[in-house]
This record gives sequence, structure tokens and C-alpha cells, in this order.
Amino acid sequence: MKKNDFQFYISGAFHLGIGFGIVSLLSRWVTGNTILSSPETLIKYGLTGGIGYSLMGALALILFGILAKKIRDRFHDQQTIGDVLRERLTPGGYWYMISILLVISIHSIFVQAMGAGILLHMIFPWPVFSGMAIFLLFCFFIGGAGGMQRIHQLAGINVVLIFSAVIIIPVYFYIQEGVYPVYEGIKLYHPYILYVKNTEAIWFIFTAILIGFGQVIVDRASWQRVFIIQKEKLRMTFTLAGLIWATIPLALSSLIMIIIFGRSYDSIYSLLFELVGKINSTLLIVLFILFCFSSISSAISAELHATVTLIIKNIFDLLHPLSNKEKWRYTYIFSGIICLFLLIIVSILPPNPLELLFFFGNIYASMIVPMLYIILGNKTLPALIPLASIIGTAGGFAALPIVENLITIWISFFISSLICLVYFIYNILKMKLSYKFSKRY
Amino acid sequence: MLPIESFSIYIMFCVLVPLLGSFTLLFLFVFEKRIDLLERQKREIALERELQTALYNQLNQEIQPHFFFNTLNSILALARLDRKTELIRSIETLSKLLKFKYRTINNFIPIEDELTYVNYYLEIQKTRFRDRLHYEIQLDKHVNKAIIIPFLIQTLVENAFKHAFERHIGNAFLKINVLKIESSIHVSVWNNSFESTETSHSDGGLGLENIKKRLELLFPEDETSVQLRNEGGGTAVLAIFPFVIKSEKLEGEKVQ
Repeated sequence: MKKNDFQFYISGAFHLGIGFGIVSLLSRWVTGNTILSSPETLIKYGLTGGIGYSLMGALALILFGILAKKIRDRFHDQQTIGDVLRERLTPGGYWYMISILLVISIHSIFVQAMGAGILLHMIFPWPVFSGMAIFLLFCFFIGGAGGMQRIHQLAGINVVLIFSAVIIIPVYFYIQEGVYPVYEGIKLYHPYILYVKNTEAIWFIFTAILIGFGQVIVDRASWQRVFIIQKEKLRMTFTLAGLIWATIPLALSSLIMIIIFGRSYDSIYSLLFELVGKINSTLLIVLFILFCFSSISSAISAELHATVTLIIKNIFDLLHPLSNKEKWRYTYIFSGIICLFLLIIVSILPPNPLELLFFFGNIYASMIVPMLYIILGNKTLPALIPLASIIGTAGGFAALPIVENLITIWISFFISSLICLVYFIYNILKMKLSYKFSKRY
Repeated sequence: MLPIESFSIYIMFCVLVPLLGSFTLLFLFVFEKRIDLLERQKREIALERELQTALYNQLNQEIQPHFFFNTLNSILALARLDRKTELIRSIETLSKLLKFKYRTINNFIPIEDELTYVNYYLEIQKTRFRDRLHYEIQLDKHVNKAIIIPFLIQTLVENAFKHAFERHIGNAFLKINVLKIESSIHVSVWNNSFESTETSHSDGGLGLENIKKRLELLFPEDETSVQLRNEGGGTAVLAIFPFVIKSEKLEGEKVQ
């Protein structure tokens, strides 16, 4: 494959083995959310919540790994989630799903960019705009213009930085402070963290697994990786990536305890970034900052790449067939537009963190069964199946004033599942009846 | 509330698991290629062994006096009748057939090569059976370059002659279909002799078993199957294996 071929931009030149596959998935999934949501779960649901958060990621990736093999077997000629949707859905359903995917993509990149903005605001004295401009320019060159090959070239460095930070910094602190003072401090200031018999945390874990799996099953970047990892190694790669990923939020939760053990806090979302103020060693500060930026930039690059691929391959190329050169030109243009949009939004909005954990949770939960139906079903599916996700989401949101947040996510999940189930049964009955009819006449 | 001991264990766990994760990743980077290499070598050895068995079966089955003398007699008859062009063609085809048989050492070949070989064989059989033999080969246009294990179609065709046409009198119809259905290749060899599948199993079972084994070894991760069944008033053997282009297979092995 030539380097200037657009296929090269989408999937690179090689099929990945387990090692590189894991690195690629880790660099996609260790994101700003991982850094920002770990404190939230720990503080809201205690130590059980911290473990639950790790479990969520691990299980989500492992479950998707099981599906990945099926996806690859059934849709071996495809390259993106959009290609598969096009094969399996009617035009109406396809365009609906693509619009939902676009909204999710833009929101997901925006959340990452906000994370980077908060970090810049906390660390550097100069205005967020200039720092963000450099940061997004970097993401543009890697994910937007560089393509899959460039993303993988940096994924190795990114994973080395992640592991260096999550191994060295906790060890350094716990050797310096000792576990006992941390325990005493937490007992004094945040005793709720130490309560493990927390039924709400169990409830949270199950809901988080649902959201996590929903997030992975519609993740454009993970789908692209399904098609570039060697087929026979897909399941193992996703399973190990899930297990290895789970170690990172665990290490981060141990870091959070270092930050909060002697004091209270203002905002739980930016807690981890306050670690910079706690670290005395310049080397460790640099390592921590590099860790944060590299995780966020790799996640943004992967998302940007997947989103632009979706726009060019699954939207523009269908509306108006593009030549190779045009595809490249539009890639640069759209990556640039997305980066510029992020730059403006992040610079305008105050650097206040968003409530991340359950935002979009309803959409992700209601996407699971329709996506499973799309992947595992046999016939072209009508628009009702993808629409089940929006009906489920709306149902969940409608229940928001009556029941609590976690339950609405389950409501969304059940509504969309019910619609799919009803359609499935209706389809079977219809087939049986038509078979009987054709036999009789 | 969590006591200090449990909290210490929790912290120890949190601090140590990333180490475990990084070691796993490091291990994979260092040893993945070696493990792949060992697995591939193991598979190749097994595949070569099966190929040897297939070759042995082929030579054993085909260069049997029956086939050989009949062919020689047919060629002799052509010489006596002074049908020079047909004579030359027959000797040439026989020579190509034997050459292919002795020279095949690869574990997989393109379908077009396999079919060329089958055609040589059928041409020779045509000189023996003359107007009794009718055969047709149907081939999807995309499958020419796809790979197949050597002697797959050949073994099935030979079985048809051995178990059907040479045993029964009357017209001998043979149909070879090579189709691409979704991501698989379906090779079916049908003959018009209706036999109970059990009898065929006991006779041609070894050849089919060898094909089954070799397909499993060549495509360890994909679904393959070989089925013998009675259909359309005759007997058919259907072999299903994944559609893979030769260059892709070689590239895949290089990457591993």
C-alpha cells in the first residue's frame, strides 16, 4: 500500500500483534476521563467504587474482545464502524446512527480537550488559549493529518510514559509518607471512603459496566483497531488490554488518597491535577505532566482520526465519491475545523470540569442491544433498531425527575432492549407464518 | 470501616498491579514473535507431514498399474491408429501430470494451479473413457488466485473415478464447482453415481480425513469442513475453507 493512499491513513500498513494491539488500545483508552473520573468514583463510592471503575473498563474491553472476533469474521472487508452499519442497516437507520456517532465523537473529544484545558490552567501561568493551540496543533499533526501509522508510532512512547508515571509516583509517595499517615488522614477527613459495605457501590459497578461496554461498542477508534489487529489474536489482545488498563485507575486512586488525606477539596474533578502541587521532585512533576498530556493527546488523536475517517469515508464519500487526493484534502480540512472548534470552545468556556461519569451514560446504555443486534443479526435491519437507542435514551431522561441517575441508565437499557426483543419476536413469527403460508399454497 | 491492615493491602495492590501490567506488556513484546514462530513451525511441520501423507496417498492411488496401463494402452491405440496430434497431446499431458505430482512441495497453491493439474488428469481420463465421460468445471471469477491445499480437488476427482466411474457402466458425469460464498470458498465435486455415504466413507475416508486435517492446519483459526453427501441423484463432496489470496497468506506469515 502506498503512503499517499487514503487506506493507509485509515488503517496503516501492518496488522498488529498482541503487544502492539494492547499498546494501541491502551493509548486510546487511557484518557482524560480515566484521569478525571477515577477521583469521582473513589470519592462518591469509596474504595469499592475505585475497584469497580477498574473492573468496568476491564470487562468492557474483554466483552468487546469476544464480539471483535465475530465482527471480524462477519465483516472482514470493512474498516470502520460506519462500513458495518452501512452493510447492516437501511439508509434511514444508517444516517441516524452516523449522526449519533458524530455527536458522541465530538462530545468525547470535547471532554478530553476540556481536561487538557483544566490541566493547562492549573499548571502554566499563561492563558489557556496559547497552551491549547500548541496542544491541539500536536493532536492535529498526529491524529488528524498523520493517520494510523503516526498514531502507532507515538503509542509506544505514550504507554511508556503512562506506566512510568503510575508506577514511580505512587511508590515514591508511599515510601515518603508511609501508609499509616494516609490512612489516619483519610479516616479523619474522608471516612466515607473507607466504608466498603456500600450497596450503592455495587449498584454503581454494575451500571458502570453497562456504560463502559456501551462506550466501547460504539467507539469508532476501537472498531478501527478490530480490523487492524491480527484476527486470531483479537480476543487475547482485548482481554489483556482490559486487564492491563484496569491497573491504571487503581494506581490513580492510590494517588488520589495521597492528595486528599490531609485536607478537604474544592472540586473532585480536578483533584488529580493538584498532585502537581504535592510533588517536590521536578523530575516527577515533569513525568506527571507528560503522563497527563500524553494520555489526553493520544486519546484525542485516536478520536480525531476515527471521527475524520467517519466523516470522509462514511459520509462524504457516499454523498459525493471523492478521489484519493480530495480525501486527503478534506481530511486536513476537517481535522483543522474540529481542532479549531475545540480551541475556541475550550478558550471561551471557564476551565470548570464537567460531570463526566454519567453524562451520556443513557445513550451508551441504550446503544448496547441495538449494536449487538446489528453485529449478530443476519438480515438488513430497519431504522427501528437504531431508533430504539434514542427511544431508550429519551425514556431514561424522562424518568430522571422521578428516579435517581443510576436507575435511569438501566431504564434506557431496558427500553431499547425491549424494542429490539419485540422486533426480533415479530420477525420470527412473520417468518414462520410466511413459511406456513408458502407450504400450504 | 476498613482496618489499617486491609487498607495497606489495598494500597500495596494498587501500587503493584501496574508493575504486573507493564511486565506482561514487556513479556509480550519480547516473546510474542518467538511464540508465534514456534507455533507456526509446529503447524508447518504438521502440515508438511500431512502433505507427505497426501503425496503418498496420491502416488499410491494413482500410479497404480490399473490407471497407468490403461492410459498407456489408450496412448498405444492412438499410436496404432496414427492419430499423431492426439498422441503427442496425451504423452505431454501425462508428463505434465507426473511432473506436477512430483514437484509439489508447497503447503498451499493457487486454485488455478490445482485446476490445471485436475484438467491434465481429466484429459488423460478422457482418452480412456472417451464419450462416456462428461465433465464441467464451474469457477467463480474472483477465486483464481485464492489458495487451496494441493491435491484437494484432485483427490476428490480421483475418488469419483475410483469409486464411481470405474465400478459402474454407463455415462460418467462429473461436476466441479468452485464458488466464493461470503468469505469462504466452497469446492464441490459431484458425480452421477449414487452410493451410500457409509460405503464411500470406508473407502475414500482416508483421503477425506487427510483433506480435513490439512485444511484445519492451514486455517487454524477459521471454520473448515469436508462433507460427503448424496444430492441431485449422485454423490458430492463439499469442502469449505476461507477465502485467502496467496499474497495475503504470505504477508500474514511474514508479519507473524
